[in-house]
Amino acid sequence: MSDEIKTTALGRIGGAAAKAAAYAMMLLFTAMTLYPIFWLIMNSFKSTREFQVSQLAFPKEPTLSNYVEAWKMGDFGLLFPNSLIYTIGATVGIVFVSLLAGFAFAKIASRATKPIYNGFVIGILITAQSLMIPLFLEVNLLGIYNTRFAVLLVYIGTGLPIGVYLATEYIKAIPSALIESARIDGASFWRIFAKIIVPMSMPVAVTLSILNISNIWNEFALINILVSRTELKSLPLGIYKFSGSLSTDYGKQFAALTIGMVPMLLFYIVFRKQITRGVAAGAVKG
Amino acid sequence: MPNRNRLHGEEGRAYWSMVLPAFSIYLLVMAFPIVLSIVLSVSNYSGGKMFGGEPWGFAGLKSYARVFSDPLFWNALKNNFYIVLLSVFGQLPLGFIFAYIIYRRLVKWPGFWQGVLYVPNIISVIVVGLLWQTIFSPNGPIAEVMNDLARAGFQSRLEALFASVGGFNVDDGLVSKILDMAGPAALDWFSDPVPELKELILSYEGAPLSELIGDLCNLFVPRWSPEFLSKPNIAMLPVLFVILWMYTGMYLILFLANMQKIDSQVIEAARIDGASEGQVMRYVILPALSGTIVNSAILAISGSLSSFSLIFAMTGGGPSRVTEILSIYMYNNAFLGRPNLPLANAISLVMVVISFILIGLTKMAEKRYGGKEE
Repeated sequence: MSDEIKTTALGRIGGAAAKAAAYAMMLLFTAMTLYPIFWLIMNSFKSTREFQVSQLAFPKEPTLSNYVEAWKMGDFGLLFPNSLIYTIGATVGIVFVSLLAGFAFAKIASRATKPIYNGFVIGILITAQSLMIPLFLEVNLLGIYNTRFAVLLVYIGTGLPIGVYLATEYIKAIPSALIESARIDGASFWRIFAKIIVPMSMPVAVTLSILNISNIWNEFALINILVSRTELKSLPLGIYKFSGSLSTDYGKQFAALTIGMVPMLLFYIVFRKQITRGVAAGAVKG
Repeated sequence: MPNRNRLHGEEGRAYWSMVLPAFSIYLLVMAFPIVLSIVLSVSNYSGGKMFGGEPWGFAGLKSYARVFSDPLFWNALKNNFYIVLLSVFGQLPLGFIFAYIIYRRLVKWPGFWQGVLYVPNIISVIVVGLLWQTIFSPNGPIAEVMNDLARAGFQSRLEALFASVGGFNVDDGLVSKILDMAGPAALDWFSDPVPELKELILSYEGAPLSELIGDLCNLFVPRWSPEFLSKPNIAMLPVLFVILWMYTGMYLILFLANMQKIDSQVIEAARIDGASEGQVMRYVILPALSGTIVNSAILAISGSLSSFSLIFAMTGGGPSRVTEILSIYMYNNAFLGRPNLPLANAISLVMVVISFILIGLTKMAEKRYGGKEE
C-alpha cells in the first residue's frame, strides 16, 4: 500500500535499513522467547545423567520415563482434574455472576448502582495477592480452609471487578428499546436476561472466559494459602513440589514443568486471537 | 428507561437478586479481608482461634512502626520499585517498538511475531520461575556454554602451540609456555611446575596428541560456576531479566490493539506529505497513544504489587531475603519462623494503600488523557 510513496532512492535505502533492523530485532527476541521453552522440552526427554553431560544437544536416547515418574511423584493424576474443576467452575461463576450484575447495573435504574458499581471498578486495581494473609485468616475463621468451595469463592471474587466492569460496559451498548418492548410484552427481567442479554453478550462472555481461564489455570499465590491437602491442590502447586530438594533431579523436574506448560500452550495455539483480544480489552482501563 | 429513585415490586426484586450474588462474593473476598487486616494490624493477635481462644486486643500502631523501621521492608519496596522501573523503561518501550514494527508492516507475518512474543505470558509463572532458576544455576546451560567456550579457546591455543614446535617436541620452553597459558591454575597441581609437567607430558609419548591436549584442558581450564542467583548483590538482576522476558509481550499486545484504532488515513497522508517513518511515530502515533502509555504504566505498578509466584519459585526471596518483594516479605512474616500476623496484616494494608494511591492516579490520568484512546 505504501510502495508508491517511497519513490526516492534515498527513501528506499532508508526503508531497507529499517526493515533489516526490524527483522533483526524480531528474530533476536523470538529466539530468546522460544529457545528456553524448546530447551526445556528437549531436555525433558533426557535422563538426568545425560542432561548433566550435555545440555545443548538433542537427546541421544530419548526416554519417556521422566514423564512417567514425574506424573506419579507430582500426583498429577489428582491435580489435573482439580485444575479443571477450579478453572471451569470459577470461570463459569465469574461470567454468570458478572453478566447478571452487569445487566442490573446497565439496564435497571437504581440509586444503588453508582456506589456498588464504583466499588467493583475500584477493585480492578486492588490485587488479591496483597490480601493473601487476611484471606488466609478469613477462610480459617469461616472454617472453609482446605475446601474446594473456598478456592472457587476466592477465584470468583478476584475475577469479579474486571468481569462486572466489562459486562456492564458491554450490556450498556445493547439497545434499551429491546428490553422495553420485551417488558411491554410482559417478560420478567430474569426472562429478558435469559432470552436477550445472555445471547447478545456472548462476545464479552468469551472475552471474560478467555481472560480467566489462563489466569486461574496458572494461579499459584492464592491457592497456595487456601489448601494444603494434596487431593485439593492444583497443577501449579504440584509443579512447585519439583523445586527445592527435587530440583536437581533435572529430568523429572523438566518433565513436570513441561506437563505444567503444555495445556496452556495448546489452549493458546487454538484461541490465540481471542486471547490477544481479551487481554487488550481487559487492560484498557487499568 | 425511566429514571426512578426507588425500585418497586418485581423490578426491585430483580435488581437485587441480580446484583447480590456478585456483591456478596465481592464483599467476602475483597472488602472483608481489608477490614480484617485493618483490625488485626493494630492488634496483638498471635494466631489460634479468633473468637473464644486466647484473648487478644488493641495494640496501637506498633506493627506499623515496626514495618517502617524494618530495613527488609524498604528492601522489598525498593525491589517492587525496580520492577516498575523495568516495566516503564524496559518493557513499555520494547513493547511499543515491537507493536510499531508490526503495525507499520516493517516485517512480514505480523501475526506470527505477535503470537510468539506473547507466549511467555500464558505459561504458568511457577514453570517460568523454575525453568530460569535452572538456566541461571551453576549446572545450567549458561554455565555449560561459557565453559565449553573457555575450553575450546584453550584447546585451540594448545593445538597451535604444539603445531608451532612441530608436534610432540617437548622441551622446557614449550612446557613453560603451557604453564603461562594455565596461569595460577598450575600451582593447584604442581609444587615445582616445569619439571613435573614435563614429566607428565613425556608420559604421553606415543599416544595421540589430541589425548594429551584433552587432558591438559581438563587440568588447566577452570570450571566457571555462575552465581547469578546466589550472590546477594546481583541476584535481583536475573529476576528482572525474567520479568522482562515474560511480560514484554503483554505491552506489545496493548500497544498494537490501540495502534490499530488510529485512523490509517492520517498516517498515509503524513507519509505522502513527506514525513519520515520516525516523524510518523513521533507526531502521529505517540500522541495518539498517550492514554495507553499512562494506562500501561499504571498496569505495571499494579502488576508489581500483584507479583508473587515468579520470585517465590525462582528465588523464594533469597539469598538472605534480598530478592523479596512486598508480597513475599509479607508472606514470610506470616508463615516463616515465628509468624507475626499483626505485622503481616500491616504490610497487607500498606500494599492496599499503595493500590488506592494508584486508583487516585488513574482518575487523574483519566481526566487528563481520558477519551483519547478509546
